Amino acid sequence: MTAVLQVNRVSFRYGPQKPVLSGIDFAIERGTFLAVAGPNGAGKSTLIRIMAGILKPQSGNILLEGRDLNSYGIRGIAQRIALVRQEFVPAFGFSVMETVLMARTPYYDQWGFESHQDRDLVLKALELTDTARLASRALGSLSSGERQRVFIARALAQNTPILLLDEPTSFLDLKYQVGIYDLLKSIQADMAATIIAATHDINLASQYCDEALLLYPLAEGPEAPADGSRLPDRPQFRVGRTSEIFAPEEIQRAFGIRVFSGRVGTERFVLPLGTRAKDAHLPGLPT
Amino acid sequence: MQPLTPKILLFRTAVAALLLIAIMLACALVGSQDVSLRAVFRGPRDGATPSLDYEILMRVRIPRVLLAAMVGAALASSGVIFQALLRNPLADPYILGISSGAGLGAIIAVISGLSWTLWGRSPIAIFAFVGALGTVWLVWGIGRITGRHQVAGLLLAGVVVNAFFSAMIMFLVSIARGQQLYATIFWLMGNMTEEDLFVLWVGGGGILAGIVALFFLGPQLNIISVGHQDARSIGVSVERVELTAFAISAFITAVAVSLSGLIGFVGLIVPHAVRLLFGPDHRQLLPLSSLAGAMFLVVADTIARIVVAPAQLPVGVVTAMIGGPFFLFLLVRYSRRVYWPT
Amino acid sequence: MAKWWLLTAAAALWMACGYALVRSPAAERRAGPSPSIPTRIVSLAPNLTEILFALGLEPSIAGVTQDSDYPPAARDKPKVGTFWQPSIEAVIATRPDLVVTEAFEQQRDLARRLQRIGYRSLAINVETIAGLFDAIATIGAATGEEERAHALCADMRAEIDQLKAKTAAGPRLKVLWVVQREPLRVAGRNTFINEMIELAGGENAIGPTLHIYPAIGAEQVITARPDVIIEPAMLPGTVDQQRRQALAYWGRFENVPAVTAGRICIIDGDVVSRLSPRLPEGIRTVARCLRPDLFGE
Repeated sequence: MTAVLQVNRVSFRYGPQKPVLSGIDFAIERGTFLAVAGPNGAGKSTLIRIMAGILKPQSGNILLEGRDLNSYGIRGIAQRIALVRQEFVPAFGFSVMETVLMARTPYYDQWGFESHQDRDLVLKALELTDTARLASRALGSLSSGERQRVFIARALAQNTPILLLDEPTSFLDLKYQVGIYDLLKSIQADMAATIIAATHDINLASQYCDEALLLYPLAEGPEAPADGSRLPDRPQFRVGRTSEIFAPEEIQRAFGIRVFSGRVGTERFVLPLGTRAKDAHLPGLPT
Repeated sequence: MQPLTPKILLFRTAVAALLLIAIMLACALVGSQDVSLRAVFRGPRDGATPSLDYEILMRVRIPRVLLAAMVGAALASSGVIFQALLRNPLADPYILGISSGAGLGAIIAVISGLSWTLWGRSPIAIFAFVGALGTVWLVWGIGRITGRHQVAGLLLAGVVVNAFFSAMIMFLVSIARGQQLYATIFWLMGNMTEEDLFVLWVGGGGILAGIVALFFLGPQLNIISVGHQDARSIGVSVERVELTAFAISAFITAVAVSLSGLIGFVGLIVPHAVRLLFGPDHRQLLPLSSLAGAMFLVVADTIARIVVAPAQLPVGVVTAMIGGPFFLFLLVRYSRRVYWPT
Repeated sequence: MAKWWLLTAAAALWMACGYALVRSPAAERRAGPSPSIPTRIVSLAPNLTEILFALGLEPSIAGVTQDSDYPPAARDKPKVGTFWQPSIEAVIATRPDLVVTEAFEQQRDLARRLQRIGYRSLAINVETIAGLFDAIATIGAATGEEERAHALCADMRAEIDQLKAKTAAGPRLKVLWVVQREPLRVAGRNTFINEMIELAGGENAIGPTLHIYPAIGAEQVITARPDVIIEPAMLPGTVDQQRRQALAYWGRFENVPAVTAGRICIIDGDVVSRLSPRLPEGIRTVARCLRPDLFGE
């Protein structure tokens, strides 16, 4: 069984009227690059945080390398899973090097200083993310793309087999978006890492990810069943190869929009078209 | 900026420590009475009579300078911690109610007219200490109930408690007799007095132990000051570190406040200034801030002693008056290194 | 983890050493009882200075606070700070063998500190007239001037009894003693000022209050119906100016007997603001306000 991470019938709600996830059940094999997609409120971030051990599901559990996630403890999890969230400027002016070094905090010696191995790991992470030349700059002085790469470098410095990312490219421009995904792909290849990224961008995910998990939003409000379960006819998610999951009909159903779909090479692309879009009345589009 | 290495840290700490000792000695020799070193070295007795210079230096000046150093170090270190935990460079040790709690304790002691002493310390100090710690515990408890340790919950609890206790202080002040009133205001403005050796020993030991303990938490504080979630995903048990750091700094602040009243500015300005000059790494910020805080308060107290001699100003007045402009200067010169989140 | 244990152990050891080394009786110097008569006395309160002068101890006074201005000779004595902020260094520099202080928290603290350093100090409570007589007796005992103290007290008592007798007959006028005009604060019943008023043949217009110097409003002034309003002058030499301001202020209280009768009395603050051997003179000043017929102007 090469499933490094297994999500077993996980259900989660933020409050009695706010179910978010219901019966999510899938397994990820070592070395896969998985995209977690879906509309706002479908639970992408929530699922990422549950997998990182930050939130605890009300029912179901997560198995990490065959053992229950809760049995690892904070440090145990940190040795195996690294989480990257959206870049931000922290309140205090640490430099890039200092920030990435912080990933090694649990491994510092008695007096709170890093060892040579720690430094080597950090330098390698900086090189991989092409941020070594920024090492002495303060985080606040970088562009968003550079900052996001620094946060990825910090996760890399944790030296974990699994990388979780929560919408790492949401506010970045095209160049940086592609740059980040290229980087992630190379990390997957060079370090045999397992990467799970929540993303809004279907097309990038198609081009870079091996598998995809598409989440549908749950019913909310007073009509929602009390135990958070979905109406019995459909599960809340679909998981499989990206080409299957990102089929245009599924995208339409999940997001509630019309899409125009075409093929690039081996992968498809989808283009959402609202009623007032210029090409909204092309023939051949499903209604 | 170069990341910190043990060598750099040791060097800077050693230089700061030497500087502190030099300043303490220099300030001990300055005051409203002239003290000649030669007379001091001749010993405690000048022939048959006790030497005035020796007595003033050893029994008045040196204890006072030691106390100022201790309190300055405690307030500055505590300021570092509060700024890190609240992720806010404008926090100070009093922000969560320690000041009003201590003040309330002190006023209750004054008004109730108790006159017993514990180890020669008046009840004001004991009540202030208990008031400070009790308030912190209260604010922490309220913060837990409302926000599960989230910063906003704590700050709000602190504001509420501060407001309520301040109102009670104002009420008690309004019914105080003239002399009690002045004693209270005097205490609230912060002042250095000469304590006996035992108090200095115990207080100093407690504060030093607290600062060293906080230094041990340096790396965790670094990552916590960046973000909670980041810290947790890196493997730091955020709640345990926060609780420990918070408890230790509340303790040393309560000790400082019970020894010398409410001295403002030190806990806010000194960590900020050191951070501007040397960067936000807490492994360095803590030792350097405590030494800088000690230096600052020793100098401020000396100024308070000589500027209107033979009377003296409350130290809190001096720290505000020299702290403000000095900090402004630092901000203008070095702010390029700091990036404020928009 | 090891470093935490180490730290705790070190701290515990430090405290234990401190207790052993520093708290040992040998390390503490206490001022032993000195049966000898003190020859260098420092007074940290102006009224205590007056008492020392009244006991004929001027040559022995080695230091006073800056606000000790009576008798005039006190102004020439070396200064050791102010009443609120005495300078311990200046006190020590005068090499005193007795330091007399008031008994409220701050000065009592200073007295204790001086004792710990090895100087004999005396904290005296002077908040009531009875306390004043006790204070004179205590100082007399401490300085070997018991007889003069006794005589001084007797003289003072005699004068006060005389005044009391003179004002005993006749109506008890209601007095409003205004300490501050804006906001309006008066002396309540729990003050030595109240005692002076009663000895002078008057009665406080304000009933018992929680505050010792309560702030009151216009309504309470009107219901109190004082017959005489007394204001001690804030600063020396401003009596006339204050009289003008007072008349302007009180003019709007038309229903108040003191205002209609024009009995607003501004007096010199010095004699009535402190409890000192000049107490009889203070009471006489108050009595003059209440019964100008008896005491003349």
